[in-house]
Amino acid sequence: MTMAQEGNGPMILAEDVEKWFGKFQALKGVTTSVRRGEVVVIVGPSGSGKSTFIRTINRLERHDKGRIVVDGIELTDDLRNIERVRSEIGMVFQSFNLFPHLTVGDNITLAPRNVRHWPKGKAQEKADQLLQRVGIPEQADKYPAQLSGGQQQRVAIARALAMEPKIMLFDEPTSALDPEMIKEVLEVMLELARSDMTLVVITHEIGFAKEVADRVLFFDEGTIVEEGPPAEFFSNPKHERSKRFLDQILV
Amino acid sequence: MKRPASEEGYELTLGEPEGPAAQVAPEAVPATPGEWVRKNLFSSFWSGMLTVVTALLAAWILAKAIGFVFVDADWSVLKANLRVYMVGRFPLEEMWRVWTDVYVIALLAGLSRGVQPAMPWTLRRVVRWALILGVAVAVLLYLVESSRVLIMLAAAVALMVAGAAIGRRLGRVLRKPLIFAWILAFPFVVILLRGFGGVKPENWGGFLLNVIVAVVAIFVSFPIGLLLALGRRSTLPVVRTFSVGFIEFIRGVPLVTLLIFGVFAFELLLPPGLRLPNIVLAMIMFVVFSSAYVAEIVRGGLQGVPEGQYEASRALGLRYPRMMRSIVLPQALRNTIPSMISHFISLFKDTSLLVGVGLFSDLLSNAGRATRDLAFVGLEAEALLPAAFMFWAVAYAMARWSQRVEKRVGVGER
Repeated sequence: MTMAQEGNGPMILAEDVEKWFGKFQALKGVTTSVRRGEVVVIVGPSGSGKSTFIRTINRLERHDKGRIVVDGIELTDDLRNIERVRSEIGMVFQSFNLFPHLTVGDNITLAPRNVRHWPKGKAQEKADQLLQRVGIPEQADKYPAQLSGGQQQRVAIARALAMEPKIMLFDEPTSALDPEMIKEVLEVMLELARSDMTLVVITHEIGFAKEVADRVLFFDEGTIVEEGPPAEFFSNPKHERSKRFLDQILV
Repeated sequence: MKRPASEEGYELTLGEPEGPAAQVAPEAVPATPGEWVRKNLFSSFWSGMLTVVTALLAAWILAKAIGFVFVDADWSVLKANLRVYMVGRFPLEEMWRVWTDVYVIALLAGLSRGVQPAMPWTLRRVVRWALILGVAVAVLLYLVESSRVLIMLAAAVALMVAGAAIGRRLGRVLRKPLIFAWILAFPFVVILLRGFGGVKPENWGGFLLNVIVAVVAIFVSFPIGLLLALGRRSTLPVVRTFSVGFIEFIRGVPLVTLLIFGVFAFELLLPPGLRLPNIVLAMIMFVVFSSAYVAEIVRGGLQGVPEGQYEASRALGLRYPRMMRSIVLPQALRNTIPSMISHFISLFKDTSLLVGVGLFSDLLSNAGRATRDLAFVGLEAEALLPAAFMFWAVAYAMARWSQRVEKRVGVGER
């Protein structure tokens, strides 16, 4: 079992990962590894493959070549492996993707009850705890549409956390939010980053990256062009393309 | 066109009030009857003309209709054939089976209504119900000669009212059991007619036959259509090809053709030795026909569910059946309620196409036969209009019910 690997070996290992959409090659050989507890921020222009890459980590996209190993489990076409990996990874999307027909509480408890087979009471307790943690207690009976964007995204974070994942993937979690709501979501993410959770975050929030990232990956045209600690990367990018990109986003 | 500041113009500016933000919206001033008439019926020359012409036309039609119903018409054909209209050749001594079915449905319908939040008894609603009940009672007293039948009908109504009262009292607790009760009621109703030394399907007839065929077609085609819709989106080529082929073939063939094929030729496809009653063959064809349409309606609903819902479900580790059951289908099906019920209303009316096969004693066939009786020569209108009215009444009730369901499931959830 995976017990042997626990505590050592990388949490996520990607070797020469390639991905095509028809004739378009979105990933052109991505190799990197993420340590346990590491916080990795991915930046890059749109269409650079950064979103495709994190979606291959929990197999929302199937990679066409190379190897991806998550917590010692290699992602292959074997459904059992995919299920095991997915249950260890929580994911937060740009557009929240909450289930609109379920209450906030049911959004959070659905997966623990059906995938982890927790009894109702335990799942609800966990949900209440998590809602408290993301700063919106006592909203469990509301429907997602009754909450603000920032609140919805925090529910989405709580929903992902309810599965007690070892890894959290964030795909531009604040890009769809009104400016005044970005902070409340970033605060929750900061708190997570400071725990021993492994985080892979696609974001353009440079402040967040500088504050908590252990490492920044810069994606462009389907490959990692440059990587390094945030202080170094943001103040002193080495690659021509990184410089151009930073010039554009830092106005 | 001359048009004083109309309501439409007002609505357009609603989003951006011109006055200070804190101001409360001005309360609508109730219009006097005179104002209302001027504004809604005679706002311009042409609208006035239209009002007058329409009113004259409506009055003429109404006068004609009333004249026909109360003066000209000879309802003897309906009175003599009422039983045939309702149940065809269903034997009199087995009628208790039909009545029991009616009672089961009446009770369940009452309970279901009672569980829903009560609607306030506005004056309008009281008047509407008084009218409906008044007309119904008058018509029944005029048409039905057997006092036993009247008592049985009254009992059904009483049962429905009692069910509503019980439902209101028990409330939400009943909701889930009621769903199961309805699902169980479907086979029960059919088995009670046929089983335990009951009546062969060959002898089912009249409106009863139309209702049973429609109910069977609706209940059986819904799950099949659902599977076909999922099959159409399957990644397995065999499943997908079969689903697409089935749906497109059936949708392209007229229902009457299917029915005639089903009754006269379908036997060739069955294993030798297996003989099914004609009406069962017809039911199979209705199910086949309806499944294809249900599948397309469900497919439309599935397309309305955003990709993000699938991704979120997968990311959480939900497996396909659970994802479909808990996330995708509830959202997809809710969007299909209006078109689904409209399809079921059509299907119910399409049961009149049994006439086309020529072997059945459904409502329309029986109404047609009634006019061929020498005693009722020339009474086609009197024979056929009631049949049309019965179809209309049920279809309209379904449409009203659909509106209520739509309103209820849409509340605060999106």
